[in-house]
Formats: sequence, C-alpha cells, structure tokens
Amino acid sequence: MTGRRTARALLVGVLLLGTLLATGCGVRPSAVITGRSAVSGPSQGVGLYLIGQGELVLVLRPMAPDLSPATALALLAAGPQDNERAQGLTSELPSGLDPVTVTPAADQSGLSVRISGPVRGLSANATDQIICTVADAAAQVGLAASVVPVGIVGSDGAQPARRCAAR
Amino acid sequence: MTTWRGLAAQVSGLRVRLLLAFALLGVTTTAVVASGSYVQARTVILQQAQDAAVSSLTGQLPKVYPIAQLPPTQDDLDLLAQRLSDREGFAVVVYRDMRAQGSSEFANPLTSELRQAVRDGRIAWQRVTLDGQPWLLIGTQLTLDRSDGTPRASGLEVYSVRNLVAEQQSIDRLATRAWLTGGLSLVLAVVLALLSARGVLRPVRDLGRAARRLGEGDLTTRLTVRGVDELADVARTFNDTASTLERQVGELRRMESDARRFVADVSHELRTPLAAMTAVTDVLDEEADHLPGDAGRAARLVSQETQNLTQLVNDLIEVSRFDSGTARLALDDVDVAAAVTATLRIRGWLDRVRTDLPPGVVARLDPRRLDVIVANLVGNAFRHGAGPVSVRLSADPDWVTIEVADQGPGLDPEVLSHVFDRFYKADTARTRSEGSGLGLAISWENARLHRHGERRGALVAGNGVDGGAVFTLRLPRDTTDTAGAR
Repeated sequence: MTGRRTARALLVGVLLLGTLLATGCGVRPSAVITGRSAVSGPSQGVGLYLIGQGELVLVLRPMAPDLSPATALALLAAGPQDNERAQGLTSELPSGLDPVTVTPAADQSGLSVRISGPVRGLSANATDQIICTVADAAAQVGLAASVVPVGIVGSDGAQPARRCAAR
Repeated sequence: MTTWRGLAAQVSGLRVRLLLAFALLGVTTTAVVASGSYVQARTVILQQAQDAAVSSLTGQLPKVYPIAQLPPTQDDLDLLAQRLSDREGFAVVVYRDMRAQGSSEFANPLTSELRQAVRDGRIAWQRVTLDGQPWLLIGTQLTLDRSDGTPRASGLEVYSVRNLVAEQQSIDRLATRAWLTGGLSLVLAVVLALLSARGVLRPVRDLGRAARRLGEGDLTTRLTVRGVDELADVARTFNDTASTLERQVGELRRMESDARRFVADVSHELRTPLAAMTAVTDVLDEEADHLPGDAGRAARLVSQETQNLTQLVNDLIEVSRFDSGTARLALDDVDVAAAVTATLRIRGWLDRVRTDLPPGVVARLDPRRLDVIVANLVGNAFRHGAGPVSVRLSADPDWVTIEVADQGPGLDPEVLSHVFDRFYKADTARTRSEGSGLGLAISWENARLHRHGERRGALVAGNGVDGGAVFTLRLPRDTTDTAGAR
C-alpha cells in the first residue's frame, strides 16, 4: 500500500517535471502571429492593372495621378512598358480598343465602358484589367467608389457589370 | 512488483517518508510557482520585445511613402532595405521575384508561412531559430491608399529581422534564478523535514525505550507526557498500563512474601516445642530398649520422626532465609581439600568415598555452606545412587570445581530439570523418604550465594559418560561478600 502510494507520488512528480521540460527554457520558435492590417500609405502616379503569372498586378506609372478613367484605359491598351515587361508583366488586352468612353451606367448604379472592338473576344483577365483600372481611376478622380461595378459594352453587345476582383 | 516492494521497504522508514514528502511538496510548490512566474515573465519579455519591434517598423514605414513607381527597380529595393536596417536588425524587401536584404548574414531568413500571412494583408511576426540564435521576423506589405481610403495591394513586402539574444539572456537569467529558488526551497524542505521528523520521532523513540525498560522488568518506567496530540495519548496509555502492571505485580509480590513469612514464622514457632520434644525423645530412646514389643517400636518411631521433623524445620528456616535475602556468607580462606576431607570424616564416609583431592587449593568461601553442599551431595549419592561414590576437586585461577559422582543408574532426563526444585521427589511412589526434600534446593541456593562480580557459584546436575549421576559444584575462587544479594 505504501509502495503504491509512493509510486503514485513519484509518478505525479515525474509528470510535473515532464510538463516543465516540455514548456522549455529560453526563447522558443513560434508560429506566425498576425497583427493589424498591413501598413498603408499614399501613392503617386497612375495605377494600371497588368497580368503577372496569371494574376492581376498593380503598376504605378509616375505621371499626374488624376487622369480620367478613359485616359487610363488608353494607357493600359497601349501595353506594358519595358521595365514592366522586364518583370514578366503582360497585358491581355487586344489592340484597337481605342477610342473608349467611360460614362455612368444607365441605371446610375455603376460605370459603363464602351470600347471599339468586340466584347466577346476579351479574355477573363482582360476584362478584369479593364474593370479594375477603370474603377481605380474613377475613384482617383472622385467619379465613383473603387468598388463600383463596371460594365463593358462593345460592338457586339455588352458584358454585365462586375466589381474589381483584385485586392 | 518485487522491485516496488524492495523500494517500499527502503522508503518505509518514518524519517525517509517524511523527508520524501516534504521534499516532494517543497519541490512541487516551488516548481509550480517558479515555472508559472517564469513562463509569465518570459511571455511579458517577448511580448514587449515584439511590440517594440513592430511599432519601430511601422513607425519607420511612413517615410517610404508615397510610392511613385511600380514595379520598382532593384536599386529602389536596395535603397529601401538600407534605409530600414539599423543596428538592432536588418530589413528584407521583396517584390515578386526581386529581393533586397540589408545584411548578408542569412541567405533567406523568411519562412513561407510568414510570407503567406503577409501576402494576405496583415502585419505578421514569427520567432525562429537561425544559426542557433533566436530571431524575430516581422513583415508587412506596403499597401496603397486609394482616394476613398480602401487599400490596394502593391506587392511590396517589407520584413524586419531582429536578434532576440538580449531577451534570451534576460530569460536565461530568470531561469537561473528559478532553479536557484528551487534548490534553496529543496534545502529548506529537507531541513524542515528533518526537524519535524525529529519532533515526531523523539516521542516514538522515547516510547520504544520505555517499553524496552518495562519489558526488562523496570515497572517504575514512566513517560513524560508532552502536548495533547496522539503521541501524548499513547504516552498516557503507556503510563496507565505501566502503573496497573506495577500495582498488580506489587500485589503478587506482597502475597508471595506474605506466604514466605508465614512459612518462616511457622518454622520458628515450631522450634521451641520441637526442642522440648527432642529432649523427651532422647529419654525415650534410652528407655526404648527396655520397653516391651509395640511400645518400644512406637518409642523409636516417635524419636525418628521427631528428628526428621527437626531437620525439616531447620531446612525450612534455612530456605526462608534465602527467600528473604537475609542469608549471609561467613567468608574465610579455606583449604578446600582439607574442608572436604573433614566433611567426609565427620560423617564417617571417608572409607566409602573415592577422593581425588589435590592439596593446596585455597579459596575464599563460606566453609559451613561448603560443608552443607558436599554432605548433601555425597549423602544423596549414597541414598539414591550406587557406590562407589567419588569426589573430585579441581581448580583454576578463577574457579574451584567439586564433582560428586556415583555409579548408579543416573538421573532421568525428566528428573534432571526438576532436581533442584523444593520437595521434588524423583520416585513418586516413595512419598516418604529419609530427606526433607529441601536438601538439593538448599545446596543450589548455597552455591549461588557465592559470587564475585559477574562470576556466580553454580550447582549443575548431569549424568556421567559411563552412567551414574554427576553433580558439579563450581564456586568462584575469590568470593566477595555481597550481603546476600540474590
């Protein structure tokens, strides 16, 4: 009986010591700890969306930031510059979109982009490029919020309005 | 199981058990407290270091805005990494496949989990071990404000890599202190355990000692009752038991001594009438021859029985002297051979006894008692054994030994153990013998009366190798008078 009790006491002690050792000494590596949202700040220049490794990538071109959405879209349609190409950035927009016009949508719920070419030929990425660039530029000049839905109208019809999917 | 039992036997001592219990308690308490405060202090230290590093990084970052060009050039990234590095750590700036690092210390300190968390748009940090040292990695993306306040991802990620060795040292110092505290508390626990074990064990030891003394016959043993705890209860019970025992044993002793005194008194009272009767039987003896027939036989019988009665009464008086402890030795330097010869001669046995009495053995003893013993032994040998009877004397510097042997059938083993009992009759059929039945008992007492220090006279009965009873008397050669101590 005494032996068993002593054994139990010893077991408790050993367990305790084990817990202690498991807690460990010194500075242990940790998992990733996340805090508040990332640091944010102002930008200069006009923002355009290109495609890099299949995703939308924001580029900033150093020029007067308050370009109209149509001008921004024209810049985008002109394709990536050399330094952007060097980073592996491309554009999926077909040539010959110009001239484009950006007007508030008929039901006032968003923006409508009218392009010169057919809408059906646009890839999903191209559509996203147009929507995000227009939405950003519109927000920059105070035309609409950045999350505004943007519809595209072409020579062969229209695409329903969507919001920019880029973060 | 046997191992457990062996271990249990080792740790079952009260002192060891108390020691273990105290040590376990002390160590457990200290371990819990020390480790708890250690962990808490460590958390606080690391938390503070991390918070400071994070706020330092986020404090520096507004300086890099506004961002004018994306994608940046490698020079932009290098410049940014240089600006964000300081002596507490260095910065790593990543843009897609490009990276710039403020120090070349590590090839790639960043972990993929951290990069994923940063890419998801949060400030994130992680402690890692690089080259055996603890480092803190903090990362954030540089997002860009739109005019309406919503952020957009720029793809630029800034990481700060900071060494935590200073924090590690603080924490190690804490650990050292915790171990020290634990060790001290263990020592304290052991000291306390020893003290309390002594406190508990002393009464137990006292109790054990007292019980042993009581068992050895010291019925006056009592314990000092201290306090009111369980041990005090035990001590009180012990004292009650001891006093009850003492009272009852005293009662028994008193009754026994009453009985002995009664025998002594009776014997003394009988002496006076017996003296008168002896005087009368002397006359009867003279006249017996002239008396005719039955009257003469009766006169001789009365005379004989009166002598026996006188002998019995004298023996009883002698025995009661031994019992009351009033028997005294009259010591003298005696030539033992001469004394034994005299004993035999007086009783007319000299011709019938084979003697081996080397001369010159002088011993200090009571000659009257020696005479009583030798006469009794030789008389018994004639009466119960068969001739020839031999008396042998031997001596060494410490002892005088007298052996009385006969050639009879010897003593039955059953008889041997009772031969010195009072009124013990070897032959139960012969209820009336010539002796009083006290002779050997008196001889035995007489032998024991002689003593010198630890050496004490003895009378031993046994059988010789060729049959026949052998009584061996051993007396110390230089008896000191110990006033009848029994």
